[in-house]
Formats: sequence, C-alpha cells, structure tokens
Amino acid sequence: MRAVWQLWLQPCRQVLVAALLLQLTWLVGAILLACTPAVGAGIAGVAATLFGFGAWFWFTLLGLSVRGLCRPESFLLPGFRQRLAAMGTLQVAQWVLLPTLVALLMRVPHALQGGAGILLLAAIGLAASSARYVNLLVWALFILAGWQPGLASQLGKALVASPWTVPLALLLAALIARLSLRAMLRIEDQEANTSPLENVQLGRSRARSLDGTPARRGKLAKRIAALFDNTSQWAMEQALARYRAKPTWRLRMVLVRRLLLPHDNPLAIALRLVLVAAIVAFYVLAMMHRQHFNAAVVGAYAVLLGLSRFPQLGRGMRQMRPNLADLYLTLAPPTRADYQQTLIDALAVLVPITVLTTVAYTGLGIVLTHAAEPVRMLIDAAIVTLGASLTALAVHLVGPEGGFGRGMVDFVVTLGGMAVYWGGYWLLGTLGIAFGSAVLLLVTLGFGLGVWTSARREYLRRPPSFDAPLA
Amino acid sequence: MSTIAATPMPPFADTRVEPVLRVSGLRKCFKQREVLRGIDWEVPPGRVIGLLGRNGAGKTTLLRCLLGLSPIDAGTVELFGETMTEPGGERMHRIGFVPQTFDLFPWMKVRAYLDFTAAFYARWNHALAERLLGDWQLDPKQKIGELSQGQRQKLAIVRAIAPEPDLLVLDEPVASLDPQARRAFMAELLELMKAPGKTVIFSTHITADLERADADITLLRDGAIQFTRPLAELRERLHRVVLVRTGGWPQAPVVAGLLKATLKGDEAQLLVEDANPESLHALASREGATLRIETPTLEDLFVELA
Repeated sequence: MRAVWQLWLQPCRQVLVAALLLQLTWLVGAILLACTPAVGAGIAGVAATLFGFGAWFWFTLLGLSVRGLCRPESFLLPGFRQRLAAMGTLQVAQWVLLPTLVALLMRVPHALQGGAGILLLAAIGLAASSARYVNLLVWALFILAGWQPGLASQLGKALVASPWTVPLALLLAALIARLSLRAMLRIEDQEANTSPLENVQLGRSRARSLDGTPARRGKLAKRIAALFDNTSQWAMEQALARYRAKPTWRLRMVLVRRLLLPHDNPLAIALRLVLVAAIVAFYVLAMMHRQHFNAAVVGAYAVLLGLSRFPQLGRGMRQMRPNLADLYLTLAPPTRADYQQTLIDALAVLVPITVLTTVAYTGLGIVLTHAAEPVRMLIDAAIVTLGASLTALAVHLVGPEGGFGRGMVDFVVTLGGMAVYWGGYWLLGTLGIAFGSAVLLLVTLGFGLGVWTSARREYLRRPPSFDAPLA
Repeated sequence: MSTIAATPMPPFADTRVEPVLRVSGLRKCFKQREVLRGIDWEVPPGRVIGLLGRNGAGKTTLLRCLLGLSPIDAGTVELFGETMTEPGGERMHRIGFVPQTFDLFPWMKVRAYLDFTAAFYARWNHALAERLLGDWQLDPKQKIGELSQGQRQKLAIVRAIAPEPDLLVLDEPVASLDPQARRAFMAELLELMKAPGKTVIFSTHITADLERADADITLLRDGAIQFTRPLAELRERLHRVVLVRTGGWPQAPVVAGLLKATLKGDEAQLLVEDANPESLHALASREGATLRIETPTLEDLFVELA
C-alpha cells in the first residue's frame, strides 16, 4: 500500500493548491449529498454537479501527473502498473463509487445515471491529459445545447429515462479510459528534442505533463511537426546562403532569427495560418450556434490565439539559456549589451508576426461569421494586438522567473488584451472608425511602447544569463 | 594505415549455469538506421560485464532493449529465464538500472524520490541509501531539478543499488562523476559483487574501472557483439607486436592470429592473438627488422578493436 499511497500523493506534491481545492470540492459535494434527506433531492443535483466537475478536473490533474511518472524507467519499478491500477481504483471509488452508493442508499432519484455520468466525465478528464481532443466530446455537447436547446433538453430527458444510459456511459467511459491509458503505458523510444522556442501555438492540444515533458505525438502530429521542421531547415539554408553571398547586419539578424525562432519563417507562418484556420473555424462554428451570438467575439478569440505565442517564448528563452552561450561566443559581441540588443532585435520580429496573424485570424472569423462590421473589427484587432504583443514581449524579457509568476503575467496580459479589444470595439463604435482608431492607437501603443521601452532598458542593463533554469 | 583482419574471436559463454541474460537475434532500427543487427549474447551470473563500444555503437540502445525500455524490432531477450517483452513481474525486484542521463521527476526532492522508489521494492537497504547520501553529499531536501548532472548520477546510483539487485545494469554511470565519487562508486560496486550471484553489466569508456573490477569484456561493434571474454584472458592471449625496420613496410607482414595491423613510418604494429614468439622472431630476422612484443592495456585493445 505504501507504493499506492506514494502514487496518490503525486498530484498533491506537484500542484498542491489545485489538488486541495478539488479535494475540498469533493468534501463539499459529500456534505451536500449527506444533507439530501433533510433538504430534499434538489441538493443532490448540486452535489452531483460538484462531483462531476470535480472528477473531470481531478482526473485531468491526475492524468497529467501520472503521465509525467510514466517514463520508460518507471516501468522498472516492481509492480508499477498494478500499483497504478490500484491507485486508479481508489480514485474511482472516492469520486464515483462512494457518492453513487450513498445516493443509492438515500434513494436519490437517478443515482445510477448520475454515477455513470461522473465516471464518464472522470474518464474524459483522464484522457484530456494526454489527448485533449477528447475534450471535444464535452464541447460537442455544449455546442449541441447551444444550437438546439430543445433537442438537447429532449435528449437529456430521454437519457435519464432510458435503461441503456448507464451501460452506454460505462462502456464509453471504459473505452475512453482504455484509449488514454494505452497511450500513457506504452513504452516507446524518446523523440528527439525540439527547440524550446518553437512555436507550439498549434500544439496547445499537445498537452505537456506537469513536469514539462511533452506528450507523445500521434502520426498526424508527427507529420505536421516534420512539415514545420522542413520549413525551418529550408529557411535556415536560405538565410545562410544569402548571408554568405552578402554578409550584412540585416542578413545576420535574419540568421539569428532563424536559429532562435525556427517556426517563425514565412513558410511556417503560412502553414500555421492554414492549420489554425481549421481550429478557428471550429470555434466560430461553436459560437455561431449559440442563441445570443456576437460576431465581435471572434476578434477577442483572435487576440487570444495571437498572444498565446508569448508564454512559450518566455519558457523557451529560459530553457535555451545554456545553449545561448554558444550563440554568444559565435556572435562575439563587443559588449554584453550588444549581445542583449541582438536578442531584442531578433525577438522583436514577433510583434509584426503576431499582429499579422491576429488580423488574419480575425479576417477568417469575419468571413466565417459574416460579421457586420469587418473594418471596425480588423482595425481594432490590429491596434490592440500591436500594443498587447509589445507588452507581452516586454514582460517575457524581464518578467518573473518562477512558473507561477509567469503564469499570472500571461493570464493578465492575455485577458487584458481581450478586454482592451472589447473596449476598443466599443470605442470605435462610439467615436467612429477614424477618431476612435486614433484614440485607441494612442492609448494602446502608448502603453505598449512605454512598457517595451522600460523593459528594453532593463534587459540591456542586465548581464546575459546562461544558467540552466532550476526546477 | 591500419587494417582489421576478419578473424572472428569466439564468443565467450559459461554454459554450466543458467544465464542471467540471454539475447538472441536482437535487431533494433531507428527509422531507417539499423543500430543492432542480430545480437546474440549470454551473460552468466556472478560476473561484471564491461560493455565497450565506440560512440554510437549502440551500447545505450542495447542496454535499454535488454530491460524492455526500448521496443525491439526482432529477436528475443530473456532475463532470469523469462522473456522480456516489457518490464514487469517479480524479477523487477532483482534489477537495478542507472541510465546514462538522469532527467526524471525534476520537481521531486531527493528524499521524496527515494521514498517513492523504496515503496515499490520488497527489499531496500535504507542504511546503505542513507550512508551514500551522506558520503556523496546529496541534500535530501534539494529538488532533483536543482542537482548538477553529477549529483543526479549519484542519486541514480543510490536508487539502483539500494534494493540490492541481483542484476545491475549501468549505462556509463561514472561519466559525470568526479574522481572521488568514481572511486567510491567502484568500491560500492565491488562490495555489492561480494554477495553471491550478483551480476553487473556496465557500459563505460573508462577502461581503468573495468580493469579494477576484473570484468569480462564485451565488445559491441557494427551492431553486433564481437566477443565476450574475461579481461585476464584478453591480457594473456592478445599481444601487440611491433616490427621496426628502416624503410618501412609496403604491406603488413603476414602473421598467424593477426587481428589488426597498423603501419606507421618504420613500424608495423600488429595486434595478434596467441602470438608465437618463435615464429615472430623468425619473421623479424627474415625481414631484417627488430621485434618488440608488448602486453596492451585494455584501453589500447579498445582503441585497436572498437
């Protein structure tokens, strides 16, 4: 049992706060369920919702933690799989079996269906930790509910009444759990490491485990990655050839950019736009089918997508630090500040790239949703992203070192960018396109440039760091 | 100029006892590149096996395949008499492994990691683990991600030998260690080997350690095991023959048991198995050369044969 206990402890050791909150959720759910005889069956529904969402998130967390543990070397631990299975059984007992049993004893209506539903959500959570596309199942339900609420309601009633609901849910849960566990427990050769500064904007569906190890990629993802790698290689060769023919400062900078940002060459950007179009189309489709759909929301999503490039940049720059010593020696800058300036110049290209891609995403959204005011949305998106990407780049140059601080900064910058987009949209509508744009540009660019200038000054003042980041 | 003669050295295997490890026809490819080309190998219990091979020869791949940590394309691997398709079963209590680089669980503290690992084993020498942590100055409260590469390697060694395994597989375990730690590690290894039936498979480039452990030497080259032989036997049977004459050698002289010939200036350096001094003296006087017969070090042998 010691080994099972050690396995159970892992999510708490890695993300204590989230683990405690989710266990608290379970506790509140249990208390509410216990109150059912006194308060009535309605409270059991609230408890079931808490158990359902709690199980979804807890098992996602558990999956992320277990995936980090499931490295080939771990399978050398005696009885590792069996102990993992025992720990999983205990988790299912806590989140599903125990509440269901208590509900059955209290004769709570539809207790079995509720239990089966919680188990299904737990399985989806577990699968989402390694293959987030499984979450699309839940998304699909939300889309259906938003698109055809009447149908969804009828379907819900039919499911509650049907004797097939429970076995079907159990079957589906078993299938999903098997799919996710098979991926986790498979021993395969480690893939070659990719550059920490690669653009993984697309790979957000490619979840990372809590210790930062990337998820194993499927065949399609591997092919897409190979396409990106080919574009990087091609871009690097082109940059090298041009630099050899004419070694100017500008071409040298291109070379540095190709090294630092392998997926930010024109071909890769085009490829990314095409692929993201599919994701954007899905989002737009999902939003369109809501009853109170607002086309302007597309721009906010585009800002979110555009800015999601920067958190990876922050993480990647820290991981790259030991390797950057090689770049430093190769560039042989006259002063350390010159080297820092070179890095700033190389990374600054992300600002126009982010603006262009965000505008492209917005344009795509406009076409898909037949938005009424495309010009207003495009101008708003362009101006806001300009300021927001300058800010995001600045805070990642000199921002906090720790994961929590970086996470908070990313959260604030991204949400701030989306909020400013909404504000800008209102401003352009109220003051008119020309005047509104000028005011918005003044405010956002003023703020962005202010933050950027301060961050740049601070970054130039700092000595280059080549220390490997601590855990 | 050097040439390697195609004379095969017979593989060594002790057939009197059931081998700890039996590999047959093991093949392993990475994409189109075949790294292991039909490995046949047996390891008897109670021996230290030094696995030698040049960089990229496939030593790490072979060791990982043996333990089921890397899927194989063909062949079979038997550990303790059972087929090893994937790591599992009671025999895992008897196996210890030190990977080439230890990059697991950076968020864990040293103590938590050892507690976590110990929980899985039926046998765990807490006193040994504690003593090594102290001797090797590993702070139990430090996170693994904050340890240097050498410290991580020390931790991996502690973790591998604390369960007192019957088979210890070490993939270049001392590459990141300082000389003190390397000596301490070798002392622990030799102590462990005092118990009966303990087997160690040890991949390394530091041949002095293998000499200290009096290991059987296995050479991996061109994706295959070239030979497995006790070090003493190699020393006894392999000699370097140096023939020197003015004007040099247009081609290597023909000598029985020749494994490799290197022509350098006036010298012909020959690696010869079971050299016959009389015939060599006769050859030297016939060719008008002076003769020197030397016993090569293991490193010399590695350089010549790998």
